[in-house]
Amino acid sequence: MRHGTLRRSRDVLLALALSDFRVRYGRGRLRIVKWLLDPVAALGVYLLLVALVLDRPGAAPGLSIACAVVPFQLVMMTAVNALRCIESRRTILLNLAIPRGLLPLASTVTESLAFATALLMPFAMMAIYGVPLTVSVLWLIPALAITILLAAAIAYPAALLGLWLPELSTFFVSVVRALFFLAPGLVAYDTISGDGRGLLPINPLTGLFETYRAALFYGRAPAAWELLVPTGAALLILALTVPIFRREQPHLAKIVTGGR
Amino acid sequence: MSARVHAAGLGVRFDFDRQQRVVSPTLRRLRRRGATLWGLHDVDLDVGPGEGVALIGPSGSGKTSLLRAIAGILPADAGALEVRHRVGSMLAVEGGLLGALTGRENARSLCVLAGLTPAQARSGATELSERSRLGTAFDRPVATYSEGMRARLGFAIAESAQPDVLVLDEIFEALDHEYRQVVEEHARDLRARGGIVLVAGHDHEALGRICERAVALRDGRIVADGPFAEVVSAYRGGA
Repeated sequence: MRHGTLRRSRDVLLALALSDFRVRYGRGRLRIVKWLLDPVAALGVYLLLVALVLDRPGAAPGLSIACAVVPFQLVMMTAVNALRCIESRRTILLNLAIPRGLLPLASTVTESLAFATALLMPFAMMAIYGVPLTVSVLWLIPALAITILLAAAIAYPAALLGLWLPELSTFFVSVVRALFFLAPGLVAYDTISGDGRGLLPINPLTGLFETYRAALFYGRAPAAWELLVPTGAALLILALTVPIFRREQPHLAKIVTGGR
Repeated sequence: MSARVHAAGLGVRFDFDRQQRVVSPTLRRLRRRGATLWGLHDVDLDVGPGEGVALIGPSGSGKTSLLRAIAGILPADAGALEVRHRVGSMLAVEGGLLGALTGRENARSLCVLAGLTPAQARSGATELSERSRLGTAFDRPVATYSEGMRARLGFAIAESAQPDVLVLDEIFEALDHEYRQVVEEHARDLRARGGIVLVAGHDHEALGRICERAVALRDGRIVADGPFAEVVSAYRGGA
């Protein structure tokens, strides 16, 4: 791809993401409050569930849950955004010939921008529980890269579903949410026993959550599978869905016109 | 500038499923097929530098589909379409505007989408504000704008990309008298520089002031192409 094309794609991607970001998150002081409240609210609900309702044992449950909720927030919010990424830009699609293949990626960038504040949560939990910061925190860098890659991978099938079968959007969101509960989201992988334990690593979120825990909670390097499974799953989904989306993208305007 | 629009046997097809929803070719293979409608059928059109062409016809005749195809928004399902050089488009009064954003934010975003760099879009925002004549409203959310204000902003954005081919769809209907003159002057100026103006609408008087040629469409086909007065007269006589 030529340098000029790459630069143009970057400019379009940022223009789409920033305008979407302003639409979804508003502007001014209220935006910052919303940014901060979203992850706090999500974490708070799960923390109450684990610590009070289920009364599960374990050290630093708030930090353990934050290591799962924070990356999951990005994946989930990207899926929700991508489901409507075509319809929400209806007026643009009907007026300008833009590189439409970037729309799901723009959803990922929008939600990644919003995700930045959520990253404060695990560090706040570390401070609350007195968990020391070690050199393993550097594993957060690949963890973040994998989270964004997985979010981008979810965005393409979400965008296709929002285009083809918008009535199944709620079902898709439920499937993504189910993946959280079919992974060690509320409790760490090490504390799970039983027959299902061996199957959990198949879920790409398991490796993702455990990578965050390794970096911030256990203070060790993540196991290879914890990095490779979510990366492989993301690449596989992208390999399957990006070509389909590229084939569909010339026809997006046709579909949103409804034939008028 | 050697702008050109050349269509040969151009066709744009809409496939519907059994619930009358438009489906893509991929989905068409997976679902039981419904009806197929050709929005444009066998369209031959050649527009050269300096020409202004008005597209006329009843609603649903294919005017907007033709403009969308020329703007690169709809793909050609049959025939060939060649559009030489940069296209500026305003194909609805909303013109891609997002109501929650201010005029300035929309302008910056849409100018980049239309082909400017972010730096050009930023530096050109003040000039665009003046050209749109929105005053302080430029920094208010577009949701608070009247239809005419949206049309002004949309046109100023379409113009800022300095297009060689300008396509406009039914914008005169939304504009006040004063701004219509601005649009007409811009259109004449573009044609004088060798650009092309393609404009569709029902206000034939306004179209006639910027176009010497008219193309009449009916059921997605071109039924007349020639001097503006003749084509409009024939269309009115036959309509």
